[in-house]
Order: sequence, then structure tokens, then C-alpha cells
Amino acid sequence: MKTHSVLAPAALLAAAWSLCGQGLPISSDRLLKAADEPGNWLMYSHTYNSWRFSNLNQITAANAKNLHVKWLFQGRHIEKFETTPLVVNGIMYLTRPENAIYALDAATGRQLWMYEYRNPPRTFNCCGKVNRGLAILDNTLFMNTLDMHVVAVDARSGHELWKTEMFDYTEAGGYAAPGAPLVVKDKLIVGMAGGERGVSGFLDAYDTKTGQRVWRFHTIPQPGEANFGTWAGESWKTGGVTTWNNGSYDPETNTLFWGTSNPWPDYNDDFRAGDNLYSCSVLALDPDTGKLKWHYQFTPHDLHDWDSTQVPILLDTQFRGETRKALAWANRNGFYYLLDRTTGKFLMAKAMVKQTWAKGFDDSGRPEVIPGNEPTPEGNDHVWPGVDGGANWMSHSYSPLTKLLYVFAREEHRRFSKNEVPHPTTEVSITTSQAPATMAQANAGAYDPAIGGAISRAIGTPEESWGKVIAIDPGTGSIKWEHRVLTPPWGGVMATAGNLVFGGTLQGMIFALNATTGERLWAFSSNGPVFASPISYLANGKQLVSIAAGDMIVTFGLD
Amino acid sequence: MHLRTLLGLSLLVAAAQAQRNPALTGEPLTGALPEVNPFETQADIQQGAALFQTHCTYCHGSQGQGGRGADLTAGEYRMGGSDRDLFITIRNGVPGSEMPSFRVSDEELWKLVGYVKRLGSRGLLEQAPGDAAAGKALYAKNGCAGCHKIGKDGGELGPALTDVGRRRGLAFLEESLLKPDAVVANAFRAIQVVLKSGQTVTGIWLNEDDLSVQLREISGNLRSILKENVREIRRNKPSLMPSYEGRLNQTELSNVVAYLNSLKGTR
Repeated sequence: MKTHSVLAPAALLAAAWSLCGQGLPISSDRLLKAADEPGNWLMYSHTYNSWRFSNLNQITAANAKNLHVKWLFQGRHIEKFETTPLVVNGIMYLTRPENAIYALDAATGRQLWMYEYRNPPRTFNCCGKVNRGLAILDNTLFMNTLDMHVVAVDARSGHELWKTEMFDYTEAGGYAAPGAPLVVKDKLIVGMAGGERGVSGFLDAYDTKTGQRVWRFHTIPQPGEANFGTWAGESWKTGGVTTWNNGSYDPETNTLFWGTSNPWPDYNDDFRAGDNLYSCSVLALDPDTGKLKWHYQFTPHDLHDWDSTQVPILLDTQFRGETRKALAWANRNGFYYLLDRTTGKFLMAKAMVKQTWAKGFDDSGRPEVIPGNEPTPEGNDHVWPGVDGGANWMSHSYSPLTKLLYVFAREEHRRFSKNEVPHPTTEVSITTSQAPATMAQANAGAYDPAIGGAISRAIGTPEESWGKVIAIDPGTGSIKWEHRVLTPPWGGVMATAGNLVFGGTLQGMIFALNATTGERLWAFSSNGPVFASPISYLANGKQLVSIAAGDMIVTFGLD
Repeated sequence: MHLRTLLGLSLLVAAAQAQRNPALTGEPLTGALPEVNPFETQADIQQGAALFQTHCTYCHGSQGQGGRGADLTAGEYRMGGSDRDLFITIRNGVPGSEMPSFRVSDEELWKLVGYVKRLGSRGLLEQAPGDAAAGKALYAKNGCAGCHKIGKDGGELGPALTDVGRRRGLAFLEESLLKPDAVVANAFRAIQVVLKSGQTVTGIWLNEDDLSVQLREISGNLRSILKENVREIRRNKPSLMPSYEGRLNQTELSNVVAYLNSLKGTR
């Protein structure tokens, strides 16, 4: 009884919070403890370990069959809808393409305010004028823009507080910032895109109050820095290596983890011999200074556009009989990896989809590459996985209840061709310091990004190219179950304490699977392609699940 | 608003626009754009081909056959097929798709347009050796019009052939007759759905997700089938068209190809 009386106030407090979730302002301490606020969704991946796991359990494997639509939000836009909304105390904040922010009543979907950032007519994101979401601190929402700005907006009014230009978006072949930012303490961590456009990558931190930049980490070592020699000749100047998705944070070691994109040109390596660090890598950084603690490169000298921009998942797991503070990573190159997140030491890797390019790994984690997988002028049809990879940017999820990592994986292959066209950097030297002259040349057509090759459509029928939700034992990489779907996905998954895994397919089927068995328990035909990952939260004390599909946010509940 | 103020504002706007480079800022293109490509010499086309290799193959494939982007060899353009349409499409990109805007000079862009047009009009460059009139008779005798439309006449189970001789080269036409499964446009892919009841439904695949599949039966009826009622879906014969290998001799084949090549449409 005594125990109960001690716990009662805490339980009451939790119950009060859980009715709708605690409101603004959001302190950095609350972000550290975001898992304690299951009624809210306070950052892109819900918590700093990026589990995208909801501790809500009103919706269960037993009652999921009763799920139905509670409300729709009509974005009325034509670009892909890749956002992960945030929810604070029954208010949903979401981005809608290109760069608008909406505040909605999370119980009804009714709009409270809207802020629209106007991009120039032409921006240069490789794959659509998309945005993946927001970060929040105190009373302020933060959004990246396609023209390389960061904006801060008052969450109560939608009024703009400050706006900072990260970089000239027209440099090289064009920069963009489509990802969601991440708040760590009093800083906003912001990535950028342009890996197909000959840019020079970086990861930035900004002061959340003023918008002043605090640090910039160049993802390509600059002259004099360690690993500068991993790029031949001048290739480092235009080597890509962008940071276009979200990262994770480990407060125990004060380490920020962030993945990087491919080296450029994607399929033509004639001018970029070397490992091309820190492309296709995970970076472990000090979030206060931007100093690199360690790195691990998943795909040295990548030739297939296998970005390592997946969201890092931080978990403690048993590995060969020991509990390890680990980093779990389902990579675009088709392998699942486990690293020690305190040191970056490679622990293991195992293929999670069909792959043809690596026969194994040495003790340091360097892949033993199988020859014959390179792009060729005539086109190489024998490479698995395809350019979009075994996994891509969409979120994976880890359940501490099942101790399984859920990945919506892709089984497909493509033809990889290498262009014989000479690389433009041999004729035009592109550096950021040469901007005016370079831009004149660029506008005259002397320079435009080339990929250095081509890919063809997915080869084969649904029997040869499909999607699958897989449940991976993180300590061994073994796959406990798989749930196959018709086509390779572009949506992520979310596990919940109701023993469910939610997700959506490219055809717009939104589903709930049994987290223990993979059995599909419920499905809904939204008929809008899903390019996003789900969230769950409370509105008026009721658990809801929302996901972007087509141009809508679709929200489900039980009653 | 006072007329003088309006005029002043217009001049200001015009001056501001004059300072910007539309290729960079994406300002809408204005009146001066020609309807017909001013850069269409053979050398221009060759330069266009090189530009295509550099900028376009990532999505449209090394031969323009499509992939992440549209198939450019079919000669059909969702955003319009005139020289000017293609110029604007490439310059501005396609909203709502992954097709970006391109930052090259106008001259280079016209050369690119020239090459892209060639990709979709290969038949204009080739002269078929066969007898088109004899081929027309064979077309009628073999009942091709049952599935293919020329002008207003014919069926719709296969692609319309009204201007196939403009869009497609001779080798493609011959392959289509001998190996109809080799290249099948998405709009004409056939499937066989075997139901748990034992019934088999054959038709043109229209749509599909994990819960259901939709098709147009050979009769023309539209049909939707829940997958919970399906035993198997067969996709190993993607074309409904029979192969004419062995059914036409070499001369007859050459004549049918010549007839198809003569179908240039009205454009």
C-alpha cells in the first residue's frame, strides 16, 4: 500500500498529461524525456533515440480491426507529402509542400493557423518540392526551406520570428533543405540536400533564439583536415555528401548521430578515386561544437547512390552475450548493421534484402566488394539492391516490448549505366569561393550537374520487385518475420505499445500489423501514395494515428 | 490606383525582372519564345544527344526508354508535344512530379528539345523497304483492327496505330510483330487472375494494390476483384497480341512493317 501511495501522485500526473499531453512551452529537458509524454509527438522520430515507438496502448492487436477514419486534412497540393507532424497538447503542427506550416486541432483536423514561406519559383531539390517536418523548442517551431533557409515561427500564432539563410541555394547545381531539423539543447541541427548536383555537403547548428549559426561541419574534409586525401584531385570541391534527413542524439554521451549521402557524380567515379569520406557514413558529432568524434563508412567509394541518410536508431542490445550500447542501421545498400555507438566499432552486418555487391566484411567493418557490380556504359542489370536501395529515408521503428526493429524494406533491382560524357569539373572548376564567375558560367550552360550515369525502371514484375515489412532481431540481424506487400515502399513504420506496427504503401493502403507475428490485422484504402511515416498521440484522451497519404493527413481512431 | 503610379510600378517590376536571369530564378517565360525549334541542324541534334546523356538519363534512361521518368520513345507527351511545349517543360520542370527545372542556356535547351523530339519520332527518319499496300491487305486479313485503332476505326485492346509510323522505328515495329511481349506499354499489360472458385479472368491490367486488382476484360467490361478471392495472378504473358513469328513470311513481315511505317497520323 505504501508503495501505491508513493506512486499515486506520479501516476495522477501521468494520467493528467496523458489525457491530451502537456502543452507549450517545450523545454529542452522535456525533449530529453519525450518518451514520458506519449500523448505528444515532440520531434521527428518521437524520441532522441529515434525509435518512432508510441507508448500508447489503447489501440491493440485485439481491437485494431475497429479502426476507422476520424478526420482528414486536405493539403490540396500536388507535391509528395512527406511530413511527420508534431503534436503538443492536442494541437498538431505539420508542414505541407512546399514550405507551409499548419496548426490543426488534433481531435478534428480543423485549422487554427497557417504560415506560408514563399520559395522562389525554381528550386533545386532532386526529388520533388518536399518537406519532412518540424522541430520545436519553447514556443517556437523550426522549418528548413527549399531555398536553404531556416525559419522560426511562433507555435501560438504562426508569426515568423526569424529567418536565416544557410547557404546560397543557387550555388553549384543547386542546394536545398527538405529535411526536418532537430533541436538538441539550445541548438537547431539542420541538414541539406543536393547530392545529385555537385554541391559540397555540411551539417549546421543554429542558435534557436537568434538564428545565428553556431557551427558547420563539412562532410567532405577540407584541405589540411584528416581524410582529405580520400578524394582524388579536385573532386572534393563538388563531392556531394549531403545530410538531407534527420538525426539522433544520445544525451548520456552527448553525441549527435547523423547520416550522409552519396558521393558525386553518382555513377561515374573517373574523377573521384578514393573512399570519398565522409560519404555514405554515419557521423558521431559533439552537438556543442560540431567536432567529429568518430565515423563509420557503410559504403566506401559508393557507385550506386546508396545514401546512408537513414535515421540512426540508438538502442541497447545483447550482442554475443554482452549488452552493448549500440547503433542499429538498416542501410540503403541492403545490409543491416550494428555498431557500438560509444566508439563507432563495427559489430556485425547482415543482408536484409537480396544484395550482390559485398561478400562479407573484415573486422573493421570494411565491405569485401564483389567485382562486376559497377555501372557500365551499356548498363549493368545484375545489381541488387536497386538505386532506391533496401531501405531509404523513411523511418524504421524499434519496440522495447518486442525488442524487434521494424524496417519497411525494398526488394528490387535496376539497371545502372555509366555515362561516357566527360565530367564537367574537369572543364569548370567549381568552388564556393568562385561563386560569381562560376554562376556566370553555370547560367551560360557551361556547368550543370550530371549524375554520371543512368538508372532504368525497376526490372521485372511484382514477383521480382516488392516491399516487405521485416522484424529484425537487432543483436543478430536475423529476420523474425516478414510481411510482403505489392511494391517497394516509400513510407516508414511506427511500432506501438498496443503490439502493432503501422505503415502505408505506395498504393495508399494504410495498415496495422501484429508486431509479434507480422499478420495484417487491419487495412484502409486511402488511395493516396504514402511517402511518410506514421505518428500516434492523444486527443481528448483518445489514441489517434495519423499518416500523410496523397495530399491528405489521414487520422484513425477507435471510437 | 493613379495611372502614373501604376505605370511607375510596372516599370519598376519590369526593371527588376530585366535584372534577373529567368534560367536561374524560374520567372515565368514570356512571349518571345518561338513556336518552332530554331536549333535543329544535325550538329544541334548531336549536341542535344550529349546534353541528354548528361542531364536526362538518370530518370529517362540511356536511350530515353523511361525509368524513374517518362518513356520518351513513345512520342506521347503529357505536357504537350510541340517544340515550344517541350522547351517549357524542360525549362520549368513538371510540378507535382520529380521532373526538375533545368538550368542550361536557351540554345542548349533547344538542342535538347530537338533530340528529345527525335527520340519520339524515329519513324520519320527511316524508309521501309516493303510494299505498304500489300501490308495493308495483310493487316486487314489478319484482323489487326480487332484490337488496334487507326483513325476512328478499330478496337482498343491494343495501342492505337494512327501515327505509329512517325513515333516508332522499323526495328521496333518488327519486334512488336514477332515478340509482342518484349515491350508492352503499361496501359496494355495483360494479366490472368485465377479465382479461388477456379474461374480465370483475362484482361488488361488497370490497377492493383494489396487488397484488390482491377482490369478490363477482353469483352471490354471493367472488373474489380478482391484479392481475398484470388488464388493466383499470372503476369507471364504481358501482351494479348499473338506473335506473328512463323505466321508471316519475311516478305509479308516486311510489307506489314512498311504499312505501319506509312501511318504518320495527322500531326
